[in-house]
Amino acid sequence: MLLDFNKLGAWKWALSGICALMALFLLLPILFIVALSFGSSRWLIFPPPGWTLKWYEELFADPRWLGAALTSAKIGVIVMVLSVALGLLASLALVRGKFRGRAVLRAFFLTPMVLPVVIVAVALYAAFLRLGINGTLPGFVIAHLIVALPFAIITITGALETFDPAIEDAAILCGASPWEARLRVTLPGIRHGLFSAAIFSFLISWDEVVLAIFMASPSLQTLPVKVWTTLRQDLTPVIAAASTLLVALTVILMIAAALIRKGKSE
Amino acid sequence: MLSAIAARRRGSGLGFAMPAILLLLAFFVVPVAALLTRSVTEPEPGLQNYVTLLGNSTYARIFFNTFFVSAVVTLITVLIAFPVAWALAIMPRRWAGVIFAIILLSMWTNLLARTYAWMVLLQQTGLINRSLMALGLIDAPLQLTNNLVGVTIGMVYIMLPFMILPLMGVIKKIDPAILQAAALCGATKAQALWRVLVPLAAPGIASGALMVFVMSLGYYVTPSLLGGTANMMLAELIAQQVQSLLNWGMGGAAAFVLLVVTLGLYAVQLRFFEPGEGR
Amino acid sequence: MTAPFLHINGIRKTYGNVVATDHVELAIAEGEFMTFLGPSGSGKSTTLYILAGFQDPTAGDIRLRGQSILQTPSHKRNIGMVFQRYTLFPHLSVGENVAFPLRVRRMGQDEVAAKVKRALSLVRLDGFEDRMPAKMSGGQQQRVALARALVYDPPVLLMDEPLSALDKKLREEIQFEIRRIHQETGVTILYVTHDQEEALRLSDRIAIFNQGKIEQVGTGPELYANPATHFVADFIGDSTFLAGQLAGVSGNRAGLRFADGTLVADVPLHGSGHAGQAAELMLRPERIELAPEPGAAGASLPVTVEDMTFLGNNTTVAARTSWGDALSVRLNFGHPLSGRIARGDSLYIRWSPEAAHAFVRG
Repeated sequence: MLLDFNKLGAWKWALSGICALMALFLLLPILFIVALSFGSSRWLIFPPPGWTLKWYEELFADPRWLGAALTSAKIGVIVMVLSVALGLLASLALVRGKFRGRAVLRAFFLTPMVLPVVIVAVALYAAFLRLGINGTLPGFVIAHLIVALPFAIITITGALETFDPAIEDAAILCGASPWEARLRVTLPGIRHGLFSAAIFSFLISWDEVVLAIFMASPSLQTLPVKVWTTLRQDLTPVIAAASTLLVALTVILMIAAALIRKGKSE
Repeated sequence: MLSAIAARRRGSGLGFAMPAILLLLAFFVVPVAALLTRSVTEPEPGLQNYVTLLGNSTYARIFFNTFFVSAVVTLITVLIAFPVAWALAIMPRRWAGVIFAIILLSMWTNLLARTYAWMVLLQQTGLINRSLMALGLIDAPLQLTNNLVGVTIGMVYIMLPFMILPLMGVIKKIDPAILQAAALCGATKAQALWRVLVPLAAPGIASGALMVFVMSLGYYVTPSLLGGTANMMLAELIAQQVQSLLNWGMGGAAAFVLLVVTLGLYAVQLRFFEPGEGR
Repeated sequence: MTAPFLHINGIRKTYGNVVATDHVELAIAEGEFMTFLGPSGSGKSTTLYILAGFQDPTAGDIRLRGQSILQTPSHKRNIGMVFQRYTLFPHLSVGENVAFPLRVRRMGQDEVAAKVKRALSLVRLDGFEDRMPAKMSGGQQQRVALARALVYDPPVLLMDEPLSALDKKLREEIQFEIRRIHQETGVTILYVTHDQEEALRLSDRIAIFNQGKIEQVGTGPELYANPATHFVADFIGDSTFLAGQLAGVSGNRAGLRFADGTLVADVPLHGSGHAGQAAELMLRPERIELAPEPGAAGASLPVTVEDMTFLGNNTTVAARTSWGDALSVRLNFGHPLSGRIARGDSLYIRWSPEAAHAFVRG
């Protein structure tokens, strides 16, 4: 009866109430930022005394914001491609491979996700200083790839596990070479997993802040680093404008992911 | 014929994993190992970094902050997440879908954007303080940022989805007929909750709590933005030692402690709560 | 007349436009074993869930010893139930599962121990107290569930297809156990199944459900010998239906004329109809005789043999009437005709008049 919503009686309202409060708690900061970004008060007074677009104007007038966004996008796309490619190969090995120690290898691939990012950040910072790639594009890409890869591997192995290898066998029996079979049969079969892995990888790189803070250089800053450094100086509404754009991007990507899921179920 | 295919598929073996393995070895295993090594080699070989770290009251305070805040965050998260996950598991689909979308939105919204929002909301002249004063609940604004209260609120906000989503999956898998059986056996709602539903969800609760606790221990962004320098946590200590003080030995030692605790709890998680093995 | 022990009074349950049960009316005596038999979606389980309090009826009432129980929440109804799926509490041992109803009733420790021991003994699982449910077979789990449902001496025990997840041999074994337990405890049992053999084996009376309604209530032999509707005739036992037209109706008896002109007179008619209306003649295969020459007028029809299947103790002959209705006849092993008929033979079926029933086509 506790698992029948309509038979909960008064408890139904208590549970619904808790849900509503929690939803409000989760939504409050997001709605708040969006409202502030259009508010005219530099001191972030709420409700704002008037409405304005000047924070967005300030945001777009500053070439450093746009530059940081472009840097983030560039790094994000490269990380996305590499993460899906390496993740796909690693997943093929994990799911289809016949070698021993696959469980250990899987756990190994997931450790960067489990370890606190700050440890990875500090360790990479030291390594990159020595290699001289700190604050360079390859540095950022490698660092983000390390934390994005586990998510890509989880997503792609999940898709591969539900894809029957007998279908690949059938293609080989039809005369396809193993590579052809993978390319023409398996890849299309798990394309939803690959898309999800791509979106995850991009978002992780795009939002990543801890690794980036450590290796950012004045010449190369990602968007989160720009937000972080600005934030440490003052709580300007320009950040609200930037954050609102980030929320908008999240919503778009969420809708894209939902559409992919819907396409999968159909 | 089939064995021929199997033999050919043997191609997709370890070799496929090599690029990822090499990447992780070169840019994850080696750097982390190097960092940990520095904890016993710098400034001079020996364990003096650990002696300082574990013997000094300043650092003891940081450890206490870290574990205390993580524990409180975990507790609050569980208390909110259990009823929410329960409701989400059984609610009419449309409502559940709306709440689910809100959870995903908050989870995927940029971490800095969310933390920034809390910095503004919680400041002395922020919306929370002014609302409470307007309601007459308080006379003077509460200090909600630059202390552990702010860190706790910000962290609970971030951790909630990580607790709710897996817990919802666990509760959805419980057969409603078991709860019907409990009711017919004469159990009141409260009895069915404590004697049946909570025990059945316990593996999910424990596993989620462990995950939230581990994530909280090593969190960097929220504590440093909402906690201020006076209320440092372990991740900030590591960053500060390395970045500002260039004390790599000390930073490495702190990182080692954090790593051991994290991996230890991760091992517990794998050992006891691997999905499918629970119960 | 005194109120029945358990009275299901005009229960109706609708979900939007879908009618799950429609005016279900049934009186059950104390100690009776009543089975709800019907195909899936016929409303039998819905009726049981309403009794258990998992669902509320749209209309109607349920009275136990004259008192309505609809306003009583499930946990206060004091009704026992065994479910289709395994519903033992997986985190509790067998003993604690059986003790659960007593613990939530805050019964004393010694009494709990004594009652648990007795209940486990009743289902022949003495000494299984410390076993965990996951370590038991499906049959054992259902027996524990039975012990848990009986340990608090409920006046009524509901069983919702409790054996459907078990294999046939185990099912028969536990059916036997259920009968024994029913006799030993005298508990009133409402049993839901879609398996007619199970229903016939277990029940004092059977209520046949179809499309949310009860078609007929009666003992197994009553339902078999005297089905009230086409559905009941079809659902209980094998039967042959031959299509014809009503010719002369008087009271609840009628004549039937077939396409070849044959008239079968004076058959019990179920349902109201008038001459000329389409109707069917129902015959049980074991009551049909196959013969080279016609029998008494009005109890015989010419047929053509289509196929024979030897099944050990009998040979089943598939035949067809001249207007195309298929039927089957069983010849017991050693029957003079068996082995002497071939496909295409023209023969006659004969039946004793009391074995035939006519149903108006609805």
